[in-house]
Amino acid sequence: MRRIISVSLLLAAVLIVVPGILTLVGGGYWFRVMTTIGVFSILTMSANLITGTTGLMSLGHAGFYGIGAYATALLSTKFGWPFYLTLPVSGAITAAFGILLALPTMRLIGIYFAVATLGLGEIIHVTLLNWVDFTRGPMGISAIPGVTLPGVFTASDTTHYYAVAITALIAAFVLGRLTHSYYGNALRAVREDDQCAASMGLNVVGLKIQSFAFACFFAGVAGGLWAHTTGYISPGDFRFSESILILAMMVVGGLGSLPGAVLGAVILLGLPEFLRPIGDYRMIVVGAVMFFSILFLPRGLLGETPVLTVVRRQFGLAWDAKSNLGWRQ
Amino acid sequence: MTPLLEIKNVSRYFGGLHAVEDFSGQVQRGERVGLIGPNGAGKTTLFNLITCFTPLSAGSVFFDDKDISSLKAYQVARLGIARTFQNLRVMPNLSVFDNVSIGALGALGHSPFSALLHHRNYAKDISRRTWDALEQAGLQGQASEVAANLSYGKRKYLEIARALALSPRLLILDEPAAGLNDTETAQLGEFVMKLSKEGLSILLVEHDMNFVMTLCERIMVMASGRKIADGTPQEISNDPVVLEAYLGSEEEEAA
Repeated sequence: MRRIISVSLLLAAVLIVVPGILTLVGGGYWFRVMTTIGVFSILTMSANLITGTTGLMSLGHAGFYGIGAYATALLSTKFGWPFYLTLPVSGAITAAFGILLALPTMRLIGIYFAVATLGLGEIIHVTLLNWVDFTRGPMGISAIPGVTLPGVFTASDTTHYYAVAITALIAAFVLGRLTHSYYGNALRAVREDDQCAASMGLNVVGLKIQSFAFACFFAGVAGGLWAHTTGYISPGDFRFSESILILAMMVVGGLGSLPGAVLGAVILLGLPEFLRPIGDYRMIVVGAVMFFSILFLPRGLLGETPVLTVVRRQFGLAWDAKSNLGWRQ
Repeated sequence: MTPLLEIKNVSRYFGGLHAVEDFSGQVQRGERVGLIGPNGAGKTTLFNLITCFTPLSAGSVFFDDKDISSLKAYQVARLGIARTFQNLRVMPNLSVFDNVSIGALGALGHSPFSALLHHRNYAKDISRRTWDALEQAGLQGQASEVAANLSYGKRKYLEIARALALSPRLLILDEPAAGLNDTETAQLGEFVMKLSKEGLSILLVEHDMNFVMTLCERIMVMASGRKIADGTPQEISNDPVVLEAYLGSEEEEAA
């Protein structure tokens, strides 16, 4: 019962309340802001699976985001594929790339893994920039069709909001089940102490690869959404600075916390828009918010440990409402 | 019946250092075996070799007649060898329940798809195993606490509970009584005895001689990577080689 209420409230908020408010404040532009926030929510939630839950600090997430965006752009401009094919296929392509590129780095931990993924991200960026025959290089790819379904709906800011919102809900559902279930405990065990996890029978390398695959899938889908909703992409959208932005969103929201990832994206992208009236000073405010939130809440605005309990209770994920701990018989 | 664990001529070299050299030994089914020896004798290294944490330089290890020498650590754990660590390795940010569920996850396997599809029976199995292990270790009251908030003594039990959730056949304890006072050590001894009576085989390293002598049916003594004695506590405490290498000379004993 509690679960039905929680799910209904979440769906109502994302699908009715938020678009309602956006329409009241003037639609158009605010829908586009919210679409960007949605794309980055998906990116941050997915990066959170690798970095927050499994504990592998990835600095190359923007690279995988770029692979997904280019896959979608090329599939839809060259072959005319509709969004319901490009998005899952781009996700699968990105996941395949992710596994392939991650395999050699699986034995690395901590800062070494971070630097290796930084290198991967740069390789992807430089490839997008220089493989002109395939990616059109710095000119980027333009005239990417929007999210349309002939006879049902056409591409518009509202359609794009709903496309991103529904995909984000699906991502939250999948990533939520992965991280809040017992399987999530296995991933967290890898983060806390991988040797100890292995001695308890956990296949550490397998878990790392799985978390990378799922995270890259959704990074690819987010890239595809970005391509469809903006209509134009260029390598500049997928630089190291984007990876860092994703990391900052994750840390401000709370490493390992799924609602935290969304909150981080809302704050770091929404705040600059809200504060547009104060001009360039707004970036100082954003910086200050980041600084003080880390200073006073180092585990993030929505820290992992309390959020796990709340989400498990509210959404009944492998968790029993009576004991809050798990099914007894 | 063949022994549960058979260690055959096992060696491990770190460069020129012979941490373990030509060690052979056995643990019978249901037996409580102690492994003692001075610091640096190679006891923990031997544990790491048995659990495939460290690869062998030579020799082989058989568990239940199966050669486990070339397996990975997680595969050995799934076969039924669970261990605890010399320096406590609980996961401080996870709850007690989540900590123990790691062992259950190791035993039952972990697939992302069972999480996605929300397999109720799988989740119930994990939960039941976790609760059973918590109850065995007397931690059911603290299940929802964050592990970092437990006392040192309780964290020892938490580590054993996590190992028990694997439903092992052999439990390897590395200095379980270290850092505990006399009362706590006695309680731990009773707990290990209870586990043993339930059919679990035990192999433990411990420096508290009283603990080892009263708990273990058989003791192996290591010094400089080699086994120098193997016998009942009675035999070991009267063995001149052991007294020489480990317990000190007779004059010191008398003093």
